[in-house]
Amino acid sequence: MSSWKSLLLRIGDKSSEYNSSSDFKDHIETCFGALRRELLHSSSEILPFLLQCSEQLPHKIPLYGTLIGLLNLEDEDFVKKIVENTQDSFQDALDSGKCDIIRILMRFLTVLMCSKVIQPASLVVVFETLLSSAAITVDEEKGNPSWQARADFYVICILSCLPWGGAELAEQVPEEIERVLVGIQAYLSIRRHTSNSGLSFFEDGESGGDIEKDFLEDLWERIQVLSNNGWKVESVPRPHLSFEAQLVGGKSHEFGPISCPEQPELPSTISAVAYGKQKHEAELKYPQRTRRLNIFPASKTEDLQPIDRFVVEEYLLDVLLFFNGCRKECASFMVGLPVPFRYEYLMAETIFSQLLLLPHPPFKPIYYTLVIMDLCKALPGAFPAVVAGAVRALFDKIADLDMECRTRLILWFSHHLSNFQFIWPWDEWAYVLDLPRWAPQRVFVQEVLEREVRLSYWDKIKQSIENAPALEELLPPKGGPNFKYSGVDGQGKTEQEQALSAELSNKVKGRQSAREIIVWIEESIYPIHGLEVTLSVVVQTLLDIGSKSFTHLITILERYGQVMAKLCSDQDKQVMLIAEVGSYWKNNAQMTAITIDRMMSCRLVSNLAIVRWVFSPENIEQFHLSDCPWEVLRNAVSKTYNRITDLRKEISSLKKGVISAEEAASKAKADLEAAESKLSLVEGEPVLGENPAKLKHLKSVAEKAKEEEESMHDSLEAKEALLARALDENEVLFLSLYKNFCTVLMEHLPDASSDVTLQSLKSIHGDSMAVDLEESSTMEVDDENGIPKKSQSNGGKASNTCNVKEKEQWCLSTLGYVKAFSRQYASEIWPHIEKLDAEVFTEDVHPLLRKAVYSGLRQMSNEL
Amino acid sequence: MASLFKDPAKLSAYRDRRFNGTQEEFEQALLNSTTVYIGNMSFYTTEEQVYELFSRAGEIKKIIMGLDKNSKTPCGFCFVLYYSREDAEDAVKYISGTILDDRPIRVDFDWGFVEGRQWGRGRSGGQACLLWNCDISTGMERVLLNYYFSGGYGKLVQRELEAQRQLVDYGAGSLGAFPPVMPPHYGKHGGGHGHGGSYRHGRDSHRKRDRDDDRHGRESSKRNSDHESRRASDHDSRPEKNPRFRESGDSDDEEEDDRKRRP
Repeated sequence: MSSWKSLLLRIGDKSSEYNSSSDFKDHIETCFGALRRELLHSSSEILPFLLQCSEQLPHKIPLYGTLIGLLNLEDEDFVKKIVENTQDSFQDALDSGKCDIIRILMRFLTVLMCSKVIQPASLVVVFETLLSSAAITVDEEKGNPSWQARADFYVICILSCLPWGGAELAEQVPEEIERVLVGIQAYLSIRRHTSNSGLSFFEDGESGGDIEKDFLEDLWERIQVLSNNGWKVESVPRPHLSFEAQLVGGKSHEFGPISCPEQPELPSTISAVAYGKQKHEAELKYPQRTRRLNIFPASKTEDLQPIDRFVVEEYLLDVLLFFNGCRKECASFMVGLPVPFRYEYLMAETIFSQLLLLPHPPFKPIYYTLVIMDLCKALPGAFPAVVAGAVRALFDKIADLDMECRTRLILWFSHHLSNFQFIWPWDEWAYVLDLPRWAPQRVFVQEVLEREVRLSYWDKIKQSIENAPALEELLPPKGGPNFKYSGVDGQGKTEQEQALSAELSNKVKGRQSAREIIVWIEESIYPIHGLEVTLSVVVQTLLDIGSKSFTHLITILERYGQVMAKLCSDQDKQVMLIAEVGSYWKNNAQMTAITIDRMMSCRLVSNLAIVRWVFSPENIEQFHLSDCPWEVLRNAVSKTYNRITDLRKEISSLKKGVISAEEAASKAKADLEAAESKLSLVEGEPVLGENPAKLKHLKSVAEKAKEEEESMHDSLEAKEALLARALDENEVLFLSLYKNFCTVLMEHLPDASSDVTLQSLKSIHGDSMAVDLEESSTMEVDDENGIPKKSQSNGGKASNTCNVKEKEQWCLSTLGYVKAFSRQYASEIWPHIEKLDAEVFTEDVHPLLRKAVYSGLRQMSNEL
Repeated sequence: MASLFKDPAKLSAYRDRRFNGTQEEFEQALLNSTTVYIGNMSFYTTEEQVYELFSRAGEIKKIIMGLDKNSKTPCGFCFVLYYSREDAEDAVKYISGTILDDRPIRVDFDWGFVEGRQWGRGRSGGQACLLWNCDISTGMERVLLNYYFSGGYGKLVQRELEAQRQLVDYGAGSLGAFPPVMPPHYGKHGGGHGHGGSYRHGRDSHRKRDRDDDRHGRESSKRNSDHESRRASDHDSRPEKNPRFRESGDSDDEEEDDRKRRP
């Protein structure tokens, strides 16, 4: 890499490029010196690289801005091009709704203004354009309030610029900026408060009158404090001040007007559903970037100025966004932000808030797992303890934590521990054994151990809990198969069945084909022994043969899947088949889930059969005790969803293919026609058409192209038909899922008329349990060092987590999963909402179920 | 995303000598592949462990364990086939260099599994195997290579070393160089439980296959990594066995056959 490039890249970092100096002024001078020398012959390379750096390293934007200000003194044209380029990208980002680019370019513009590259007034014009678009959007008459997500985003972008240039704006254009702020205040008074109930991490205090501020309201407050503080921000470097004397000499460039995209059209019919669908679409396009987790005591994070917290979060989120996949750089930028204070707690909270972000984090959770591991290694003295603090805090509030977040937390925590030798002070949590089986904290510990065992093996995990040996009770069973015909204990099976199983096993070993075995079953087993015995013998025996590993399972399903398919031709029998899997692998949740998943892959069982099995009585009993049935359900829904996604991808690439095939065909046709109409000389005579050999060739090309086009059309049609069918099946799936939820919840929930809320479910206590708890927590207060534990210090929390009675906990867990499924698949559910409303969420559906679904779908709460 | 720091040469760092085609075709195969290669695994890591870890990057289609040509037992590498390219990319990005079964595994794109590639290519029939040694007590991660050098694996070994360097060197930030993988301390409770996981209980299980010669390096590394080094003197020097590893039973031959038959 040429030296000016690495200087640009490394500016602001403590690095060898800058002789480990950490003075920004030095960095800028050194880098500017290098760029000035190169400007003459490499300006066409410098320009895009400089823009790329400021886009992907946004925490260094003030440095790049100052650099550009200095370059402006040298080469006005070069900087003019930068400004023009920025204007084009900005307009393009606005048109296509690229949120991150919009946000970052606005910060870039602000900093250019600080360095005198553009006029403050042009920046104010940008602000006003965005603000007026936002104000129209939320106007009921002229705009479309369902798109408030976009309006809010624009206003957030304006406010986000102020930490970088508020001081300059207030000094140079005080009236204009005041006007913008008044405008924002007015906007805030018309827009609706965003209710976070569907997306908040914790389900608590919803009945309380104190409404939590939404993201924009919160940011507005921070900006007001900032403005009252004379716009002083510790976390934003202001390198342009050191060069002020020079920079004032620069020529300001024109930043032309920009335009916001058209207001989205109102739905043709005004209804709550139509409104909800649009709102959902808008929120998908303009998602809220982060949501604060607030798990640490205020003393850990709130000694900063309110605005510094916002700025550091922005830095961290940008590093996470741009350095996904670059472990080394990600970790080093995360720990090396240009701020004069410590921020480990803020960093942990920000990463956890992304890991748990609802409905989806920007990246897969495993990315954040990796980042946390790397930070633990980067800051071994500080970060592990902070992570542990976060785990304890989340564990204390686990009963209120959203179900989806609980699942992610379990997966993360087990994976994290597996990378650090499974070391954890389990004795701190040994008290969960005194809690009832359904207590969320106990279930959490049990599920973490389950996942640890899957990543490792039973004995190892058993040994890792040595400091709390009693927790062995929560370890999963040792995991072997439960073969009915193993011959070890009779299990009440007749010798005859045993013999049948052995015979089948021999046939498989003797490499009989699936066909032969089907014939054998149909002729000599089924007619004599009936369905139940046949199914049990066949399924158990085949599963046993395939039990050694995942690959063995796949092989047996590939080879003898037909045998099971033949036997389980309808949904009822498929449910029996799944039940047989559940019984064979009853000691191994992972193999249960994998086997059912594979059976769905090779279409031995349908997703509907899986749903029915999940809602069978023995599984319903587990809903609040174990993740196992939910894992199976999640797999089934996600596989259905993946199939649809694949079809959509194939269709979109086929569509492109059709277009190019059409073009090719019409070009070939045109070539042929041109050749045919051309006069050429054949044996001295003028003849219409080119020479026959060429004509023949062109003809065949045209025909081939036509055929190609037709076959593309056909495959597109075929795929579209498949997609239509898949979507219908999806509708049936969600209908079935919600009907089942509806039925089981009706049986368990208190009477709908009695005006129950989640809060009231939580406060139905079992008195005896409350007493138990008190004893256990006093026992726990002292550990061997006699230091009271943090997790117990706020005792109130622990007590409200586990004195819920079994039936109420069952309802809470199940409702939590209803919400989680609705939220995760909201985009797939919205198209079917009319049908669901008509067939499932009718008048007599329990209000708590309706509420769980609608808050998952983010339907406005006041329409409920 | 961060195109600024991506090394464009990274994909083609090694070339499988069994690939029939040009370098460009090989790179194209790597760019489109939904298969990842996983190396430096423990011999006792099971397919289910691999499944649990790698399914966190996406839905898995198949797992193919690398097997010792002679003993037909796992020999430290495998292939995971995903349905989507994106998931394969995420597996490479997020899992490479992390720990599975106490070992830092390496994950790379693979040009796609074909029959025959599951057999180890080391001279002894096993994988050309690499043994890593983490010595926590000195605060330095040392790499001990102990491999049977063979053919195309020379480059592979080099890559392994590079990967390892990448693991250790995080040092660009203001907070200095990364220390090695070490047990984190979780506040007042951490650290004191140093025996967290280096020796295993329940080693009563069967030891059918004797592969001490292949494994002594790794064994001693595990011992050294233990905080309580006294354990090293009294521990059973024979290989530990992952009890979850399901012994091949009497139908062993047939199962190997199954593997060969897979398309």
